[in-house]
Amino acid sequence: MSGSLQSYLILSALLFAIGTFGFLARRNAIAMLMSIELMLNAVNLSIVAFGAFIPALRGDAAIIALMVMAVAAAEATVGLAIVIAIYRNSRTPLVDEYDRMRQ
Amino acid sequence: MTETDLVAISPLIFVIALAMLIIVADIIWPDRDDISTGLTVAGLLVGAGLTVLVAQSEAREIFAGAYVVDPLTSFLDVLFLAIALVTVLVAPDYLRPRGLPMAEFTATLLFAISGAMLISGSRDLLVLFLGLELLVLPGYMLAGYAKRDGYSTEGAIKYFLLGSFSSAIFLFGLALTWGFTGTTRIREVAASLAQLDTASALAPALLMGLALLTTGVAFKIAAVPFHYWTPDAYQGSPTPVTGYLSVGPKVAAFALILRLFVEALAPIKADWTPVVIVLAAITMTLGNLVALTQDNVKRMLAYSSIAHTGYIMVGLAAYAGAPVGSEAERAGLEGLLFYSVAYAFMNLGAFAIVSALQHRRGVTSQIETFAGLGRRAPWAAILMTLFLLSLTGIPPTAGFFAKAYVVLAAVQAGGWVSVLAVIAVLNAAAAAFYYLRVVVFMFMRDPPETARPVLTGTMMRAGLAITAVMTIFIGLVPPVTSGVIEFARVAAEVLLVRTAGG
Repeated sequence: MSGSLQSYLILSALLFAIGTFGFLARRNAIAMLMSIELMLNAVNLSIVAFGAFIPALRGDAAIIALMVMAVAAAEATVGLAIVIAIYRNSRTPLVDEYDRMRQ
Repeated sequence: MTETDLVAISPLIFVIALAMLIIVADIIWPDRDDISTGLTVAGLLVGAGLTVLVAQSEAREIFAGAYVVDPLTSFLDVLFLAIALVTVLVAPDYLRPRGLPMAEFTATLLFAISGAMLISGSRDLLVLFLGLELLVLPGYMLAGYAKRDGYSTEGAIKYFLLGSFSSAIFLFGLALTWGFTGTTRIREVAASLAQLDTASALAPALLMGLALLTTGVAFKIAAVPFHYWTPDAYQGSPTPVTGYLSVGPKVAAFALILRLFVEALAPIKADWTPVVIVLAAITMTLGNLVALTQDNVKRMLAYSSIAHTGYIMVGLAAYAGAPVGSEAERAGLEGLLFYSVAYAFMNLGAFAIVSALQHRRGVTSQIETFAGLGRRAPWAAILMTLFLLSLTGIPPTAGFFAKAYVVLAAVQAGGWVSVLAVIAVLNAAAAAFYYLRVVVFMFMRDPPETARPVLTGTMMRAGLAITAVMTIFIGLVPPVTSGVIEFARVAAEVLLVRTAGG
């Protein structure tokens, strides 16, 4: 296996940071949802990396990674349903136009 | 998995089974709100009985130490079931006129409550995360429950986006903590952290993990500056849902703090205490200041709930700031738990009154709706006054004793935490302005010409009765007060014994 645990952790932190930036910078609800998925997958990469480099964590890592994937899928389902519901009401996926309650 | 494991976890299984039963019943008898509501109310009472029954036996760890049924679990479970019960009683009056079905509402609510109950006894990082997700995902759905209403879906998407963003942050924190300590079991995490050399600086990975965990949790309890989703989510949601969202997920997030920070991260307490103190101070102050300027009662109560997060955090700060093994440590946790109970009932009560006023479609939650309520519907006005006085912290209501508890604990803890006590008292005085403003509208303004009588159903009355009786009794009737305090003390001691034992 090439590289070290540290390089994988740095990679996952970078991916997480890109996801965070995407969430904060994008105005499209779907793009924000994708950024959140990227953040969750970055976490999964770090979990799998821990499992691959530390033998004692191997079993746990596989289970946690699978659970995180299941949770991410559930989250995407709920999120897309809500995006569809709001699109029907306001005809736009741009979150900065959802401002009915700002006074 | 053994038989004893299943018996110990039976309240949780029961709630999930109840939710499924309601879905099945709705398929067999579609659109029968009375069936789903009746089933839920009966089921929640049985579930509470089951929880009390299970609590009678010795505290024990089950599923190889991943879950524990101790007094803290039982305390929180009973509170969660009570929150669900009041929400279900209050909901039909609001949902029925708007053509929203009860069956899906109660089933979703029960799934969320099962997530809260999973958190309350969790002794494993992964189980904590799964419980958290099981709690918040149905919460997003409930927020957008009125799917044809632009406000409801707008609140839901803001709640969803910020909620899953914070979940991802929280998860990264968990992953780093797990990778650093090499275990998901909370007991072993605490043991591993206790062996660290306290004088040396924490490893960067663990420090980052701690920062991410704190941020994630701060989002969940809506502490300033991570509160931006709260006002919109609360104002947009259907009012009974707002009532639930303002107490259920909040108390559950504090349960998460108790299991994660107070149990697992207790050995590195010194590293997160300053953050809690600062967050508590700005959360109280900003929540109250912004609430002063609100004209929408739901939005005002949303900011007030942020302020109350701050007060509950004072209890946490008292625990964290007190010397290890001191009396103030216990007093802080006890205050946190007692405040959660008092806050749950008085806040649910206030939102129940707003729901009752909005029984007719098209009635807004603007403060003008409350004008002249004292003449139009004296009982509703008197109860609202009671809940608002309790939220302010006027004796002899539950809110007063709750505030007294956390403030006294903060004074006992000393150091910087006693400054928090001063800030909390000043804030309580400022809060009186906006709570009493509603009272002024109710009793000293003339009702608008268009005002129509307030209608309340039997269920709504039952829900109001429960919240009002609890708000008064917790403060005024010594057996009830001491009962709750005693239960809170036992629950707090469990945590302390375990953290002291390593």
